[in-house]
Amino acid sequence: MSAPSAARARRRPRRLVVPLVMTAVLLVIAVFWFSPFLVLILTSIRTSSDFLQHGPLSAPSSFTLANFGEAWDAGLFSSTYRNSALITIVKVPIGVLISAMLAFALAKLRMPLRRTIMFAVFLGLTIPIYITLVPLFDTIRQLGLIDNVFGLLGPYLAFGIPFEVLVLHSFFRAVPEELFEAARMDGAGNWRIFFRIMLPLSLPALVTVAILDAVSTWNELLMALVLLNSDANKTLPLGLLNFQGQFATDYTGLAAGILIAVVPMLVAYAILQRWIVTGLTAGAIKG
Amino acid sequence: MTATLAAPPPTARRRPRRGGASVWLFALPALLAYAAFLVYPALQSVELSLTDWNGISPTRHFVGLQNYVDMFQDDTALLALRNNAVWTIVTITVPVVLGLLLAVLLSGATRLKPLLRTVFYMPAVLPLVAIATIWGWLYEPNEGAINVALRDVGLGFLAQSWLGQSSTALLAVMIPAIWVRTGFPMVLYLAALQGIPAELYESARTEGATRWQQFWYITMPSLRPAHYIVIALSLIDSFKVFDLVYAMTYGGPGNTTQVLGTLMYFNVFRFYHAGYGTAIAVVITLIAIACGIPYVLSQTRAERR
Repeated sequence: MSAPSAARARRRPRRLVVPLVMTAVLLVIAVFWFSPFLVLILTSIRTSSDFLQHGPLSAPSSFTLANFGEAWDAGLFSSTYRNSALITIVKVPIGVLISAMLAFALAKLRMPLRRTIMFAVFLGLTIPIYITLVPLFDTIRQLGLIDNVFGLLGPYLAFGIPFEVLVLHSFFRAVPEELFEAARMDGAGNWRIFFRIMLPLSLPALVTVAILDAVSTWNELLMALVLLNSDANKTLPLGLLNFQGQFATDYTGLAAGILIAVVPMLVAYAILQRWIVTGLTAGAIKG
Repeated sequence: MTATLAAPPPTARRRPRRGGASVWLFALPALLAYAAFLVYPALQSVELSLTDWNGISPTRHFVGLQNYVDMFQDDTALLALRNNAVWTIVTITVPVVLGLLLAVLLSGATRLKPLLRTVFYMPAVLPLVAIATIWGWLYEPNEGAINVALRDVGLGFLAQSWLGQSSTALLAVMIPAIWVRTGFPMVLYLAALQGIPAELYESARTEGATRWQQFWYITMPSLRPAHYIVIALSLIDSFKVFDLVYAMTYGGPGNTTQVLGTLMYFNVFRFYHAGYGTAIAVVITLIAIACGIPYVLSQTRAERR
């Protein structure tokens, strides 16, 4: 009894030192990782003359919120926020619903060509959006939806489906068949089982998929760049691209504009991160 | 759910399935959207890539494989292809190694783990345009934080126009990409590390294994499924590069940071070479599909095991 505990006591200092060093290393990397945001915040709340005089890494000797007002107007944020919110709110629920329906058919119903369809849909994960740009531009023009944020709906749905189906299919497949049997005995059809049993049981997966899908919808640039052109119809990434060009030499205004664009997202991320992390992990496991 | 990252997936039991016409009602909305806005336009692009279409004119002529032949004689296209290869290698290797390192360090730091995981993954949720704007601002030659910091610590001779010169521009665009892409492998590795039974480490310790030995003989082999997934998904993602390059350098200076995605965009929408531009898109898509197929097949077949 005494010999092993003496040995443990001797080893204890080393056991404490190593984690301490690791923690210190981690903290240094984390501060470094976060530092771009710190410099942005410091710059956005100081006056331009203070910034030019003392540089970005000094403590501010002035305090102002004027940069934010200026950047808000020049960056068209009121319209880009509205447009991005509009397409995200419309696109995500539709995308999740139709993907869930397909995933349900693949996971739980007797579907002809099942494996072929799965392969064809999952292959979409690998396809870069730019292969579709030219023909889609033509299609959307024929639909009269060029320079309309809803012109993005079809392409965004299509490019979201592979990931959504992959995650939901793997989740649905793990739901035991026994749960449906009682309902089937009572004569419930597939729709009833889908809406009354499958969806409520899968709520965590649905929320996760919806959040990840909202992030990629919100952030998409290339399709929006091709399909939208007037300022009033631009989404947030497009507006920011514009703003970056205009404000190239107004360092404090640019910092404020970047923060206007990213802080709401970072807050949402901090609140929802549990779902995002489980979603990434679930998306990666074997479907 | 997370445990399967570290262990082989449980074998699925074959279940009875219900069919009928309603199966197609479930499947069709998503399949139609997918076919109409992804599969069909992608195939149309293949057809367009065999023409001399300028993108506006009502007429176009079939030119066979001429656009593809031209591509291999176009120095800019070859440079873009090379840049894509460099991009793929660097923005997979560095984030995967760094993500693994962070995950291993974090898995030991129980109390700090949630906070630091949030910090390291944070850049990944932002639009790439925002990332590009942040870094363009940090790289600014005169007042940007990076050059100012270098001057402050007496390394002023290293201060330079990071994005404005061909020798550093590609590297300068890849650094923000690394900042964005390290969080994903870290999150996956963290989940996988949780799935490794603690008893393995305990018995290794009683047999006197060093930390390094534990890492190589227990951690790394247990992470094999995670490595596969991380690398496959990073590879698929890396061919989609467009936003960062477009928003930071426009492919410049003098095309030195051009990748196939941006080159395709400029050819179609700036130079009115729609046929040639789509041929570039077809090439990169074929490469992406070829690299992605093993992963797609593993996802399709998973339930057989």
